[in-house]
Amino acid sequence: MALIQIAEPGESTTAHQHKLAVGIDLGTTNSLVATVRSGDVKTLPDADGRHLLPSVVHYAENEVHVGVTAQQFSVKDPLNTIISVKRFMGRGIDDIAVEDAHYSYKFTNPASNADSVVPRIKTRAGDLSAVEISAQILKTLKQRAVETLGDDLTGAVITVPAYFDDAQRQATKDAARLADINVLRLLNEPTAAAVAYGLDSGNEGVIAVFDLGGGTFDVSILRLHKGVFEVLATGGDSALGGDDFDYEISRWIIAQAKFRDVDSPEIKRYLMQQARSAKEALAEQDIVDIKIDIEHCQWTGTLNRDTLKLLLTPLVKKTLLSCRRALRDAEVEKKDINEVIMVGGSTRTLLVREMVADFFEREPLTSIDPDKVVATGAALQADVLVGNKPDDEMLLLDVIPLSLGIETMGGLVEKIIHRNTAIPVAKAQDFTTYKDGQTAMAVHVLQGDRELVSDSRSLARFELRGFPPQVAGAARIRVTFQVDADGLLIVSACEENSGVEASIDVKPSYGLSDTEIERMLRESMEHAEDDMHSRSLREQQVEAERVLQALDAAMVVDGDQLLSVVEKAEIMQVRQRLIDIKADSDKEIIKQTIKQLEDTCEDYVARRMNSNIKTAMQGHSIEEYATDKKSAAEES
Amino acid sequence: MSEEILTSNFFQLFGLPVSYDVDLDQIQQQYMLLQKQFHPDKFANASDQAKRLSMQQTSWINEAQTTLKDPVLRASYLLKLNGVDFNFENETTKDVAFLMQQLEMREKLENIKNEPESLEILDDLAKELKVSASVLMEGFVKSFEVNNMDDAREWIRKLQFMQKAKMEITKLTADIEDELMR
Repeated sequence: MALIQIAEPGESTTAHQHKLAVGIDLGTTNSLVATVRSGDVKTLPDADGRHLLPSVVHYAENEVHVGVTAQQFSVKDPLNTIISVKRFMGRGIDDIAVEDAHYSYKFTNPASNADSVVPRIKTRAGDLSAVEISAQILKTLKQRAVETLGDDLTGAVITVPAYFDDAQRQATKDAARLADINVLRLLNEPTAAAVAYGLDSGNEGVIAVFDLGGGTFDVSILRLHKGVFEVLATGGDSALGGDDFDYEISRWIIAQAKFRDVDSPEIKRYLMQQARSAKEALAEQDIVDIKIDIEHCQWTGTLNRDTLKLLLTPLVKKTLLSCRRALRDAEVEKKDINEVIMVGGSTRTLLVREMVADFFEREPLTSIDPDKVVATGAALQADVLVGNKPDDEMLLLDVIPLSLGIETMGGLVEKIIHRNTAIPVAKAQDFTTYKDGQTAMAVHVLQGDRELVSDSRSLARFELRGFPPQVAGAARIRVTFQVDADGLLIVSACEENSGVEASIDVKPSYGLSDTEIERMLRESMEHAEDDMHSRSLREQQVEAERVLQALDAAMVVDGDQLLSVVEKAEIMQVRQRLIDIKADSDKEIIKQTIKQLEDTCEDYVARRMNSNIKTAMQGHSIEEYATDKKSAAEES
Repeated sequence: MSEEILTSNFFQLFGLPVSYDVDLDQIQQQYMLLQKQFHPDKFANASDQAKRLSMQQTSWINEAQTTLKDPVLRASYLLKLNGVDFNFENETTKDVAFLMQQLEMREKLENIKNEPESLEILDDLAKELKVSASVLMEGFVKSFEVNNMDDAREWIRKLQFMQKAKMEITKLTADIEDELMR
């Protein structure tokens, strides 16, 4: 495009190409976006200076609110105000029945949906999947980044709980796709925290990251060495967090106050909110007053730390069991741990800190902001991944959190890739046919560490088709299970005797099908199309203006010297055409005419370049020129 | 060294002589060097083809590391390099005395949950197992060195039992400890 503009040699036009990349922490309770600017990593605030975006989406009559505005409708309009949507990501209807005790949304019957069995929440904006609702949060964060930084987004690193299974990871990636975000990597939250901590402290050795958020719990054991963050093992619970604390407290309130009929969504939401406030207050003080006043429920009382301890101990114990297992899997003793890092809002709860300190036999590190550390680490990795730091030594090596297996005879799971194996990883498995002439076969892929299919999470059923018919048992179908660096599974199959690549139909057990995602994308594109159109029209008009100015400026300098009368007339004719149509509303015509003008000017540009270089060389010595060029190259 | 990664053997890949004895520190160091060169994060801006290749290469490097670090996997990989394709699922020893021993061990493990000192017993069993495994390992190395692949294969068949028993003990210990924590 910049054909007309010619830089003086030694004067670099390509200033340092800094690409805008962000790290996004898509949390159960709050979300954040961070980026690296002039060497510093910062979380980005909204217009009112708030860094945390509450992960709440409210569907109003004609618009969608995200964040603080949405939060105001939480109790008033609970069925259209979706909180903690992360807990529903990649989940089936069975999981949701358990989860929903906290939230009481209305779900549509998945059987009525032909494409897939993804549960949908009924709202006034229609029946929405968790993926679509999460996409709203991501869109808000993306917009915040673009507006604050005034540049288009090259890509983002989005964090997920380390213990997220394949379906939950895929759902997160799908949400990013709907929000039109290029995902550079899905990064495990504890790993992100380790990066932020490690680069900040410069410490090396083995660390444990204890990450308890609003809805998920992770523990990762990592080895830090010369910029490499190697995850040795990870463990956790993708349905355990601060929300569960609140739920326990709300049940205690109900019991104390002897409330009846508390199943309305409004009351549930209200009690959860009061419970959360009480919990937060107890991080600072020994005792807190609770006042309940909604509909037929009135009660005042107090909650103290001892009672809180009784309520929460069973939940915190669950996290410590995961810690034990992670240590065992990492083959690391407690005494080998150099530091225990606390991450996630729920580690503000005093009992958690005490019990973790007790378990690891050391005081955990709580000085880093537990809310921001994950987004910070993600931003650091995003900066490296888009190539802003070409010489950076940083490397993150992660593992798969849950074993992958396939269903075999008798409803048993045969493990193919064991948990805590370093990723990427590939394992091949051979299958054969059991009937003469069989040309298709189904493979049921499961994730989890239990022996029985019924105790594991079903990920997908793969239909392999198109291998040549042979007698029973003769075919050798090699199925390769590949897990990529995001922890996502890719399956491929090949019949070994014939070399025929089998085609695979994937039926995800809990995810959205490709067709559904495409439809959603199309719909959101249609909404955005009008905006897009006017935007790109403006862009073309600006570009036309720029080209015209550059051409006029050049003509004044050397148009008459370098061009014949005929050539000049030709250029001026196309120039006039561009002036005539640039106010037109068709961006394509403007674009074509710009191109035409540039083509017509091609010889002129080449001549200018030559004459420019000659002039420049006259003024400089060759050596000087070479050095300039070198430093220009270094800068770019 | 890019495409060749996928065709070189694990020992070559890690700069080690083809031998049962390996230097674990060397494995770790070489692992880091290879990862720094081939990990998909180093190809985040590359073409889809380059990304795919890097994923395959890193998968291969990871498999190599796992194989070299684990004594039994390493031993069976040595057999494989010598043309003996060891089949973990379908091979078993026919040494009756050995099988009897294993059966006894199994029975002990099955009843252990009811024992009062179960964790201590499991610890002892783990130690015993370690000793017998190292005897079998020595047997393997000797047979392998004199190129007696049939005997070497038999040693691995037996070692396989040890490996499974070890996993069983670890799992039982974990279960009992978890139970105690609740």
